[in-house]
Amino acid sequence: MMTNSAVRVAAIGDIEDGEALKVPAETTGHGDAIAVFHDGGAYYALDDTCSHGQASLSDGWIEDGEVECPLHSARFCLKSGEPQCMPATVAVRTHRVEVRDGGVWLHPGQEAAG
Amino acid sequence: MSVPRSVAVVGAGLAAVSTCDALRAQGYDGELVLYSAEHGLPYDRPPLSKDVLLGKARREDILLRPEAWYGEQRVDLREGTPVRVIRPYEGGLELADGAVVTADRVVLATGGTPRALPVPGGDDPAVHLLRTWEDAERLRERLLPGARVAVVGAGLIGAETAAVALAMGCRVTLVDPVPVPLAAVVGDAVARALHERHTAEGIEVITAGVERVERRDGEVALHLGGGGGVVVADTVVVGIGIRPATELAEAAGLAVDNGVVVQEGQHTSHPHVFAVGEVARREGHRVRHEHWEAAQWGGEAAAHGILGRGVPRRGASWFWSDRYGVRLEVVGTMGQAERMVLRGDPHGGSFTVFGLCGDRVVAAAGIDRPRDIKAARRIIDRGVAVEAGVLTDESADLRAVLR
Repeated sequence: MMTNSAVRVAAIGDIEDGEALKVPAETTGHGDAIAVFHDGGAYYALDDTCSHGQASLSDGWIEDGEVECPLHSARFCLKSGEPQCMPATVAVRTHRVEVRDGGVWLHPGQEAAG
Repeated sequence: MSVPRSVAVVGAGLAAVSTCDALRAQGYDGELVLYSAEHGLPYDRPPLSKDVLLGKARREDILLRPEAWYGEQRVDLREGTPVRVIRPYEGGLELADGAVVTADRVVLATGGTPRALPVPGGDDPAVHLLRTWEDAERLRERLLPGARVAVVGAGLIGAETAAVALAMGCRVTLVDPVPVPLAAVVGDAVARALHERHTAEGIEVITAGVERVERRDGEVALHLGGGGGVVVADTVVVGIGIRPATELAEAAGLAVDNGVVVQEGQHTSHPHVFAVGEVARREGHRVRHEHWEAAQWGGEAAAHGILGRGVPRRGASWFWSDRYGVRLEVVGTMGQAERMVLRGDPHGGSFTVFGLCGDRVVAAAGIDRPRDIKAARRIIDRGVAVEAGVLTDESADLRAVLR
């Protein structure tokens, strides 16, 4: 997997708790957009496109460590990308997120630590 | 209740596969056989009236589970194997080829059969129904640019099919005797917005019933009631609902009344037989739940029932429908609402109707409002009291209601 250098995608506070930021493919250099989620003070990143249908997970409902797809309500673990219920059966890829220097940094293509 | 050593699931839709999935997830280790009357791996049905008809999804794109899953989960899929009789008192069932197999528990997941128009000519093979992959393939071949397509029934399947036919370049007529279909399910404002969209997109919408279907040379004529004249089409599709496929249950002497009657845990009137999906009707519920999520949930409930465990509480129901790139979503039961309030402008494209009983939300129907619907679902499930003013105020964050 290609590993790009880190990209600063937001300042701390830009992404409200329970919200997500869609980082476009041009910025990630990763082929797909990446969704950066803020859930309860922690940040997570997953491939933005749901593994089931053509939907943007950054538009999903973020709660309790999971994101629920806006289209068919498949839920994914924000940490592992693993599907938690039907209709999704395939995980979405995770990406490492780092908070430093007052910013949220995304490491596209680098798996989040388990 | 003892843990069974063998479970036979009759049917191969979402409810059937969900039952198998949930049984394994809950640690059931015995034999698990899935009897599918159709050929091929079990598939998801919602795309049939959407991407499959549009030619955007192939069979392999809509599988409920990849092929490897059946091996990994030790689910013995017997495709092309209809079940002829279930014999719960003898602990087994009889297949269409006469073979008799044993099963400690039987799960009926036989689904429904699309209803034909109950009029002369309504059962003509030239009239398409849409239920299976084969149905969708056969219909797709008919949706050619310029073809005259008449869709009878403007509910969910009919509306989706009409929208697809239009997108394929067909000249589409949509016939339904109800002036504003779905109003009881989604509320009047949403139903109107959805139905008016057909006309705006270029479909001819006719409010009439069909009295007779007449096949002519290479075309089909629908004779409409009330002096509505005749609609002539190259292809006719009927989407007027299903009847539950209760034949096996009836023959086995199970309680059947608008579906196989089930209790919590999907227990039928026989202790070793369960029913899931749209063939089942929960005792005390007026309607059978025919939507996708209900089928999935039924499978999970059945697994609990089969293993003798308590069934988790179920939240508000949810379903969706897609047409013209517009998405309808509904949670809860709009029929229970004492009053309805609007969030957003019905003429502005996307909006939500909330159904209220006192200060509780009991239902919501939204057009292109996934976040409203997800919020509504949680508001309903958690029984949160809400002021109507918060629901109607677009600037108010509905998440705040849940905190």
